[in-house]
Amino acid sequence: MGTTEKLYAPLLSRFFAALVPLLCGLTSVFISNVPISFVGGLVPPPLMGLVPVYFWCLVRPDLMTPAAAFAIGMLEDVMSGAPPGVWTLSYVLSYALVARQRESFAGLAGLGAVLGFAVAAFAAIAAAYAIVAIYYGHVPPLGPVVAQLAMTVAAYIPVTYIVSALHHRIVGPLRSDF
Amino acid sequence: MPNGTWKIARRGNAQLPLIIVLALAVVLVLIGKAQSGLFDAARVRITDWMAPALAQVRAPLDGAERWAGSIGEIFRVYEENLKLKEENGRLRQWRNTSVVLEGRVRHYEKLLNAVPDPALNAVLARVIGRASRPFLRTMILDAGTVNGARPGQAVMDENGMIGRLYLAGKQTSWLILLTDINSRIPVSIAPGRAQAVLAGDNSASPRLDMLAPNIRIKAGDQVVSSGDGGLLPSGLPIGTVVANGDGFRVALLADAAQSETVQILNFARPKEEMPAAATLPAEAAGLQPYVPPPPATVATMAPQPLPVAKPKPLPMAPISQTAPADAGTE
Repeated sequence: MGTTEKLYAPLLSRFFAALVPLLCGLTSVFISNVPISFVGGLVPPPLMGLVPVYFWCLVRPDLMTPAAAFAIGMLEDVMSGAPPGVWTLSYVLSYALVARQRESFAGLAGLGAVLGFAVAAFAAIAAAYAIVAIYYGHVPPLGPVVAQLAMTVAAYIPVTYIVSALHHRIVGPLRSDF
Repeated sequence: MPNGTWKIARRGNAQLPLIIVLALAVVLVLIGKAQSGLFDAARVRITDWMAPALAQVRAPLDGAERWAGSIGEIFRVYEENLKLKEENGRLRQWRNTSVVLEGRVRHYEKLLNAVPDPALNAVLARVIGRASRPFLRTMILDAGTVNGARPGQAVMDENGMIGRLYLAGKQTSWLILLTDINSRIPVSIAPGRAQAVLAGDNSASPRLDMLAPNIRIKAGDQVVSSGDGGLLPSGLPIGTVVANGDGFRVALLADAAQSETVQILNFARPKEEMPAAATLPAEAAGLQPYVPPPPATVATMAPQPLPVAKPKPLPMAPISQTAPADAGTE
């Protein structure tokens, strides 16, 4: 290995590690918005993109920045067909809530951790609901929104295991200086 | 639980980036309100790109999806079957009546020189994607602008209208369902031809808005598209009126969850051309055509030589072929 490669390899690793949370968030949004329903459209898809935002906002806020939350929310807007900016603003608001109460959320474990995420998801979905109500000038029905919140909370545990594994296998070793 | 093992790294610093990003998100919402089609190009590009994969994935999923979509009906199959048999018998009678009446209407239209309905042609498309989200109920079809699909066109299945296209990519298009919160369709309610607007609210039965206060409708009345505004053809079957506590709703004939193949109706009226000069109203009424005055002579023009008039020969008296009267007197 040449001197130049030795010099740049850690930098590249760090750069890649820094991109993992964002890429993970974007991929989650993409997967959850593939227009295929396994249940005949009975329930809306979960907001899977919110899990990486919540996870890395608590664990590594330097990797999950507000700009990354903005980008993930914007992809949710594009793919979900919602009015422009609705999910972008909702994701950023939820991120702001988690970032401000980071110590409280990060101290949760077990069922408490699920409830913590449920609070963050509730904040995002309630914000989206309010924005859409203002946007259209009338209140959308609550049922689908509640169903989406339930689906999102249900998806939290499996998605968190994947995200956590990615964090330990990729992000951790590549940024071992932390 | 994963949270138990989380190691918290250093705190993400200042609030300033968050405030900036929040402000940007608010600006995005405002821009989106002013320009709702902001992300449309990106949306159709993504679905165009995904279309081949979606078409492949859908085939094995269709059965499961149909089954899951009809889970609620499994428990009342027997009663439904009896009801359908009875209904089928009645519908056969109505079909015969309808055929007779259709012929009669055509005959009357011919006698009255009625303007014929614009011809409809349809594009057959397969449903390759469905999304039921809190703020959007949509289906993705495998026909796009290359197949003649255009935003605004009505989409039908074998039972009735499902919705209309609102985005058309090159190879795919997005359909907005009649039940979607954004859907507004002008409808006519038979038999009284009451006019109303069918407004989706993400429930299974859209509501009837803008009904005139003195109009009386009842449960069971038929709802069809009215064609007001010229965006949709008139007479497309939509559903039947059902009454609920706070007004009237419509039980849709089409079941979007079960639809696999749909028709996109092309209802483009023929383009109106400007009338030719000879058919302008004044001339059609027998008046003289308007002739614009010749342009005034410009003083700086080079003088043209005047044409020299040739003297005309005087008219000669006709020469008589008979000899003069005094010729024989010499």
